[in-house]
Amino acid sequence: MRYVKLYFTCIKRSMLSRLEYKKDAIISILSFLISNACALCSIYFILQAIPTLKGYTPAEVGFFYGFSMLPIALDHLFSDEFWLVAYRRVQLGDMDRHFLRPVPVIFQMFAETFQPDGFGEIIVGVTMIVVCGLNLQVSVTFGAVFVLIIGAIFGAVIITSFKVAFSSLAFIFKRSGPLLQIVYNFTVYAKYPLAIYPQVVRFILIFILPFGLFISLPVDTLLYGTYNPYLLSLIIVGVAIAFFTLATLVWTLCARRYESTGS
Amino acid sequence: MRWLRRYKPFARAAAIDMMAYRFNIITWAIVTVFEVACMVFLWLAVYQSSEGRMDSSINGFTYKEMIVYVVLTTIFTFIAFNDDTLWLINRDVREGTIGNFVIKPISYRGKFIASNVGAFLMMSLVFGLPLYAASLATLIGIGYLPVISAWDFIAHFLLFLVASVLACLLNGAISYIFGILCFYTTAAWGLNALKTTVVSFLSGTLLPIAFFPPVFRDIVSYMPFAGMSQNPVLILMMKYDYLECAKVILIALGWLVLLELIGKLLFNHAIKLVTVQGG
Repeated sequence: MRYVKLYFTCIKRSMLSRLEYKKDAIISILSFLISNACALCSIYFILQAIPTLKGYTPAEVGFFYGFSMLPIALDHLFSDEFWLVAYRRVQLGDMDRHFLRPVPVIFQMFAETFQPDGFGEIIVGVTMIVVCGLNLQVSVTFGAVFVLIIGAIFGAVIITSFKVAFSSLAFIFKRSGPLLQIVYNFTVYAKYPLAIYPQVVRFILIFILPFGLFISLPVDTLLYGTYNPYLLSLIIVGVAIAFFTLATLVWTLCARRYESTGS
Repeated sequence: MRWLRRYKPFARAAAIDMMAYRFNIITWAIVTVFEVACMVFLWLAVYQSSEGRMDSSINGFTYKEMIVYVVLTTIFTFIAFNDDTLWLINRDVREGTIGNFVIKPISYRGKFIASNVGAFLMMSLVFGLPLYAASLATLIGIGYLPVISAWDFIAHFLLFLVASVLACLLNGAISYIFGILCFYTTAAWGLNALKTTVVSFLSGTLLPIAFFPPVFRDIVSYMPFAGMSQNPVLILMMKYDYLECAKVILIALGWLVLLELIGKLLFNHAIKLVTVQGG
């Protein structure tokens, strides 16, 4: 309870400092909206030329694309500070104050920034889901909706876990930004249905970098009823908890190696 | 010629700077290989799903041509688009170092052009040469890029070099214009993202402009962005005959002059807003 209160106090402070530069915040959100709109237009133009993409109609691909934005956007909202940890903060040694406070450092990182830019992605994603969803010829079941919500929320937890684990490597190597970038960039694979990839890539996207598990499989469940939604939800939640536990463990171990610059 | 010599140190510094970031370049290489692979999977699925299967030509591109296009565009943007003009202007405005340039007999814009050219030459020599050689040899070797006559290829390659230099300068001019907007707002990050997105979409980096809907396509082909990535790459792929090559190069040149003018006017307006507190 204390942590919830603390989190909101910190976030309020972070938001206030963002609002100091209102124009900046608007330009950032706008640039996110436009970049997503461009990416969507590209896909749409490609789909114009073909009847279906491996059996997925344009509306289905659009729904897919919109849904894939949600876990990415949720992660973006809450864990942007880890990019700074990976690229700069450990290298500059300016984490001292966090280690001196009587609150876990990892919690402080989450509380340090709330990134409203993510709302741009959420707006585009939800719009896509609604517009394309109305054009889908499927009977929506409660289970399918349930597994989609679970996929979006716990998918974000899985992406955040990767960020936590790889940014904490900066405590050992001083700078782990590029490595984090490489892992994070695999999210581009999450934007399209697993069906377009060869077997090996599909295997990787389910069992190693599980973007397919929490994006492709839930959408397939809605469109074609391929999987049992409750079993799938259970698996996603289980995987998310496992990843997050592992990530905090890696963070705790690596953070012990932090060296102050002493200045 | 003498005034040109003034800018040589900037070109040299930018070239050396480029080399200092080798670690970033390794990251780029790994990220890019996976991204290109993703695009190849996507296009493979697209062509497999099309009516004529793998033999079909979509908007004038066969599957093989599309793969060549994706590979060459990726290398091209890596070599030609490496300017931090926007970030540097932002820094100069925020830290007040812009004052140094106002009082020196060096053009602020000229400094950036020199840096862009220096970085471009270094990238072309160190990475461009091996990357283009390896990819062209491979693509021609496996028959993805058919070469009818060697002379035709060499002529197109020379035209491609001209178009590349223009692309680099056009990109520099657009970065400069976006950079000047940093005088009015501190949102350099957002402006940079906006610039990158607009350029990659309208220049045909994400998708050849031929895929855009009819009217939009015609407008975009006459905008400066087409000359920044799609046209040079299509020249290299020998998709344009000489007349079309000349046309796209002239359009790019015209835009370059126009954009430099716009940049100059904007700068003259923006510089009046600057206040530097002592130093």
